[in-house]
Amino acid sequence: MAEAHKPPQDFTLRLRRYDPESGDAPFWEEHTIQLGPHRSVLEGILQAKARFDGSIGIRCSCRAAICGSCGVRINGQPGLACHTHLDKALAASRDGVIEVEPMGNMPVIKDLIVDMDAVHWKKIQRVTPWLINKEPIPEREYIVPRESMIDVTQSMACIQCGACVSDCLSMEVDPLFVGPAALAKAYRFVGDPRDAQQFERLKDLAEDPHGIFDCTHCFKCIEACPKGVAPMSQIMRLRRRATGDHHIVDRNNGERHEAAFVGLVKDHGLLWEAELLPRSYGGNNFFGKFAPPSALELIDSLPVITKALLRRKVTPMGALKPHKLPKDDLKQVKRIYDTVEGRDERIELNLYISGYDEDVEEAPA
Amino acid sequence: MPAHDVLIIGAGLAGQRAALAAADAGASVALLSKVHPVRSHSVAAAGGINAAINPADDWRSHAFDTVKGSDFLGDQDAIEIMCSEAPGEVMHLEHIGVTFHRNESGELDLRAFGGASMNRTAYVADITGQAMLHVLYEQILKYSDRIDRYEEWFVTSLVLDDDGGCVGVVARDIRSGRMETFAAKNVILASGGAGQCYKPTTNALICTGDGIAQAYRVGAPLMDMEMIQYHPTTLAENGFLITEGARGEGAHLLNADGERFMEKYAPNKMELASRDVVSRAEQTEINEGRGVGEGGGGIYLDITVVDRKRVLEALREIVNIGRDFAGTDITREPIEIRPGQHYIMGGVKTDINGATPIPGLYAAGEVACVSVHGGNRLGANSLLDTLIFGRRSGEHAAARATGMAMPSLGDDQLRRDATEIDDIIGRERTGRRVSEIKEELGVEMNRNVAVFRDEAGLRNAHEIVRRLKEEAKSAYIDDRGTVFNQDVLGALELSFMLDCAEATVVAAIERKESRGAQFRTDYPERNDEVWLKHIDIGRNGDDVPEVSYSPVTITQWQPEERKY
Amino acid sequence: MRVAYWPGCVSRGFTPELHGSMALVAPLLDIELVQLDRACCTGAGVIAEHNQELADTLNARTFALAQNVDGAELMMNICSTCQGAQSECQERLDASAEYRAHVNETLAAEGLSYEKGLDNKNFLWLLVEEIGLDELRARVKRPLTDLKVGPFYGCYIVRPVDRLGIDAVERPRDTYLAQVIETLGGTVIEYAGSHKCCGFPIITMNKEASLKQAGRHLGDAVDADADCLVTPCPLCHLNLDLQQPLAERTVGRELNMPVLHLPQLVGLALGLEPKELGMQRHVVKPSSVIDWTTSVVAGVGT
Repeated sequence: MAEAHKPPQDFTLRLRRYDPESGDAPFWEEHTIQLGPHRSVLEGILQAKARFDGSIGIRCSCRAAICGSCGVRINGQPGLACHTHLDKALAASRDGVIEVEPMGNMPVIKDLIVDMDAVHWKKIQRVTPWLINKEPIPEREYIVPRESMIDVTQSMACIQCGACVSDCLSMEVDPLFVGPAALAKAYRFVGDPRDAQQFERLKDLAEDPHGIFDCTHCFKCIEACPKGVAPMSQIMRLRRRATGDHHIVDRNNGERHEAAFVGLVKDHGLLWEAELLPRSYGGNNFFGKFAPPSALELIDSLPVITKALLRRKVTPMGALKPHKLPKDDLKQVKRIYDTVEGRDERIELNLYISGYDEDVEEAPA
Repeated sequence: MPAHDVLIIGAGLAGQRAALAAADAGASVALLSKVHPVRSHSVAAAGGINAAINPADDWRSHAFDTVKGSDFLGDQDAIEIMCSEAPGEVMHLEHIGVTFHRNESGELDLRAFGGASMNRTAYVADITGQAMLHVLYEQILKYSDRIDRYEEWFVTSLVLDDDGGCVGVVARDIRSGRMETFAAKNVILASGGAGQCYKPTTNALICTGDGIAQAYRVGAPLMDMEMIQYHPTTLAENGFLITEGARGEGAHLLNADGERFMEKYAPNKMELASRDVVSRAEQTEINEGRGVGEGGGGIYLDITVVDRKRVLEALREIVNIGRDFAGTDITREPIEIRPGQHYIMGGVKTDINGATPIPGLYAAGEVACVSVHGGNRLGANSLLDTLIFGRRSGEHAAARATGMAMPSLGDDQLRRDATEIDDIIGRERTGRRVSEIKEELGVEMNRNVAVFRDEAGLRNAHEIVRRLKEEAKSAYIDDRGTVFNQDVLGALELSFMLDCAEATVVAAIERKESRGAQFRTDYPERNDEVWLKHIDIGRNGDDVPEVSYSPVTITQWQPEERKY
Repeated sequence: MRVAYWPGCVSRGFTPELHGSMALVAPLLDIELVQLDRACCTGAGVIAEHNQELADTLNARTFALAQNVDGAELMMNICSTCQGAQSECQERLDASAEYRAHVNETLAAEGLSYEKGLDNKNFLWLLVEEIGLDELRARVKRPLTDLKVGPFYGCYIVRPVDRLGIDAVERPRDTYLAQVIETLGGTVIEYAGSHKCCGFPIITMNKEASLKQAGRHLGDAVDADADCLVTPCPLCHLNLDLQQPLAERTVGRELNMPVLHLPQLVGLALGLEPKELGMQRHVVKPSSVIDWTTSVVAGVGT
């Protein structure tokens, strides 16, 4: 608490400048500012703007991490400038200078200002981001379970800052990926009992090759998000609802892959890679590998398969016969499966909502 | 030239609500905003929205609480309308998808809030404003074929025709620097308040009183400008808001002696008395040496008395704020707060439909003064205000537009505004920096025109504001570009702020009594005989504010002593 | 030190060279591996995607088995994905006593119970935190002088930092690979893809995007003049090595970038022979690219 009153000290900021009217390439510019170490990088930039160069461009408004304007990359990590303390930014810097550049995956307009309409907002619009009412609309409020409104609070907490979009690794290689912000927003409706098109939304996003199954599961968005929305977790919930609740079998092999993985571990206790790939394409059963999509995939992968066999990385026996758990242990695993999957309702512990017990201060070592 | 039936400046709750209402009524709508709509400051509103939706409640009770909260300066016809229409509006919000919290039976849950005689505040954790603003924006996207959005466009001035009616605006596309004249049959100001005149303030950097000043400059009178609300619980260090919802959930205010001092000032409502009462109580404790923290300039807000699970569920945002901006875990220790500038009850004078005396010019939201808040605004009434009068002005403007011919505008004003901008950009570096003047304004306003005021301080403030106005005329900036030139917009915003500040100071000097948020140590009593009236500030052609009065509309409730 | 050893599924399937090299390296570092033969797959995040409670329960069982290993100081894995998947489950189990009790109820029939607070470390973390870099350096027999190594961590072991106990000051776990490479005498190559995603999770759902990631990061390493990559994750190894021919096809350039498992790199430095470490089994032969100095045995993989 004493942090709040520490005296000002010097901090050097290295800002990425870009003047579209000059015809010059972007360049780095350094400014040294004086602020208490607990103050934010945004305050530092604003001080530089006020004292040295008013032409520094950065979007900002509330200064309190609620409007979502000041999304930037600080020391290579996406986040809000107002939400990042100078002392922490200094500690994370490579050379004692705090580096600030515009967010990624979006075109730069000027300095730290990016064109969010071109990427972020376009993708938001892709998921039909408004409630499609269940009819009939009641006179007073819809009566909905208390938990459901708390559940979507996590998704509703999104302030559309773009930090997740900035560093999404799937989007980096596949610019058409619908993306973490839009998919988190999609969950806001899928999880809302008042929406009439939950199945349609899920089907749409599951069948889209750039939809929910295009997420490469890299956790970048969870780390980037300043509000705890955990977009990747929302994407996983969309997958769970699509496959588990609505039994949507998508053309992207998402459901088949999940079913194959889960099924193989139930049957053998350990993952049988040789079966996993063909079943993801052909369906989760013995004949899956013979189905046309699976055959095509195997043919496409021939260069890899042949090399692997030649090097004896994979042996035919090893591929055809899985290694299993001992019998009794496999029984235990199967029993766990039956117990948990046999429940009437899935149990999902969401730490965002329930918090941590009193004495859990840090993550497990 | 873009031409619309209804043009709305500002895309916060009031602006977006007006746009949806006007579009619904069949009008063509333009929605202009100097930031992306979801960045509007409505997003920071936290605690909730008031409505008498509980069958055991009565909107008249809500109305009386509001009248009393306003210290009887509020216009009761407007208050009746706001409170009676509130339940319908909240239901409408729920229907379009706002994710209000529920009680055990799945109905809307209602929490306690300041100055309320029963629980009537619907909420979404402590991000009610954000939830509502984002849901409204979802609707704006849904109706994008009916509402033309101009996002990141800065309105430089309002255009009046020869008959004195408002017929459009001149605006600058911030991204390209291009200026454009917009024709409109009606213009609705929804550009928010002017908190940036103060430092510190809970308000965002964009709250620079643009609309208030622009209306003032075209002759629309401002009303109740002296009524500046200081919120009781702002972070001691940087002025960030800690929602009243915390006190609504049961948090206590403690002085250095560890006592719940509100007992002395408001024995009934305690921490949930109206905001001006609580702010004054805190300031008194601080002034009398019972403050906490470094220099004894703060007060403790103790949220540890609230059930931890409930805090995580309903006060998540202030957990974050406490952790991120004050290094405090509010579930385990008290947090240091103090009163801070938060809201301006005053603004552009309108009637119950949002219409100003200037034909075709409307105002809704914090920019307007109907007045529903009078001398002091109750918590969770502002969100309501923006929606009710946003809707009404949108509807009224749309109706006015039918049968009207579209005005035709020339380029003169655009050229004037463009020249003004070029002049600012081209200024020599002989004067002061814009940022310096803004800093001085904020500090001085917070010193002299705050919770406790007196003649000497106010006169001092007036001198300072007038001097700063002079200095602003030669203030220089750095950015000479056209693309996203935030610097020159800052200079324009500074001049708007100075107009607002002057109006505030003049009105505060004029009102020689204490009422609501205005407390004068030289006139500490409320004086209904002389001062039960609004103070209006107009412009008499040159740059000198002119004072006049307008009556307070009283329907059911005669002024009485105000005790909490 | 004795550890409860979870080798994962893939090390016993498509990357046997990993399992083998770990078995050889452990005694050289005085690590006694007590393999958890009874434990099942961690789910790799996919089972959790399907049903969180299922993944939590299966992993709680593994944790309970580890806790039952007499004298084991901690649990160790050799796969970033196992680490991440298990840490996610453990976070939930440790966060709520109520939930933990519920999960333990399911395990009770087998007489198993998970007690909060298991120490679960990837071999990489163990090297730095338990054995220590000084000790490791002392045991190096064949310094990897002039070998330019690019680290590839694998997403599941570097994000999210809170869950994985990563702290920039106390425990900068997202720099450990670089530290280990240096300790072994090698030169760390910094390149854009070191902490990015190999693409494995979407190899069946969007093959092109998956291989593009692998291809790009390999390409970045090539451009940064790395001799090889090293990774603590066999799933990453699959997408970077096994799939490299297809990755080359996707990004349209020759890559020829060998990828080593972490125990293999450590093993080489500790004096083991490349063939013992199974390096001839890689799809991308290390021999064709690595230019060993005289202090390192040449002719790998012949």
